[in-house]
Amino acid sequence: MSQLRIAAVGDVHLGEDLRGRYRSRLSGIEEKADVLLLAGDLTRHGTLEEGEVVAEEFRDLPVPVVAVLGNHDHHSDKPAEIATMLKDAGISVLHDDAVVLDVKGVRLGVVGGKGFGGGFAGKCASEFGEPEIKAFVNHTKRIADRWRVALKELQADRRVVLSHYSPVNDTLAGEPLEIYPFLGSYLLAEAVDSEGADLILHGHAHMGTEKGMTPGGIRVRNVALPVLGRAYGVYCLGEDGEDPDHC
Amino acid sequence: MEAPQYVAARVQSALAEDDRTHELGVRVDVRGDQLFLRGRVGCEERRELIADVAGEAAPGLVVHNEISVVDVREPGGEEKL
Ligand SMILES: [Fe+2]
Ligand SMILES: [Fe+2]
Repeated sequence: MSQLRIAAVGDVHLGEDLRGRYRSRLSGIEEKADVLLLAGDLTRHGTLEEGEVVAEEFRDLPVPVVAVLGNHDHHSDKPAEIATMLKDAGISVLHDDAVVLDVKGVRLGVVGGKGFGGGFAGKCASEFGEPEIKAFVNHTKRIADRWRVALKELQADRRVVLSHYSPVNDTLAGEPLEIYPFLGSYLLAEAVDSEGADLILHGHAHMGTEKGMTPGGIRVRNVALPVLGRAYGVYCLGEDGEDPDHC
Repeated sequence: MEAPQYVAARVQSALAEDDRTHELGVRVDVRGDQLFLRGRVGCEERRELIADVAGEAAPGLVVHNEISVVDVREPGGEEKL
């Protein structure tokens, strides 16, 4: 089986003021990667105008593009409309479901969605007390459950989970501890660990750290643009010794 | 006099909620009559808007805009997993 090169970036926060700027960094991507994954917060205010800038920036690339939305993309209550715009531009948008791409004869399965917060094991909110707290925690639980089902049903050779919020706290290092519960939830990692995946990608934590791991040993990468400092990260999946001059 | 922690919190909320910014990743510190802003944003225009919004939320303070503009480097250095 060929190795796969996964390019990923999140939190590009595009708007009219950045139109065309990011696109210029994508030229030649087909020489560096086989697919591009976008980890949410594609806009700043979640307006349709910004959604249009995102669609223009990422349309007609020589590699397939898969995206999830982030909290900023929800701010103007137009996430479905933005998702439709991106789909019309040929970008797959995940909403707690899966897509399987045929890349060089390898079936690459990507599962995911926005994710949500709640905190990390031992230091997290639980479904107790006021309805507002219950609704907050329940939102994350339902997302994690949908990811679990999508992963269970996924028929693919390689499995990547794409999220906006973080499944682990490793990749939040650098953020103030007090806001960790708003940056992610261990429930996401627990769901992925139970069904297995090769890699988890997320954004959202602009002041965090690139590399981390779930309790089950799945590699996690925070690909928020301010963390990477480069147009996108590239992660190679494949066995050691396989196709050695490709990656 | 208002405690500096409350001033910093008000500026932080203004940066998150103001339509001109919606910026959540900026650190705000108040020391005496000095206001410090730190973080990374996508372009110079956004950097200046953040200082404007912060200044309006904390009139009378001297704003030190220590926010840097992310210079998006060429991709490179792929990682083998
Ligand atoms: Fe973001
Ligand atoms: Fe975010």
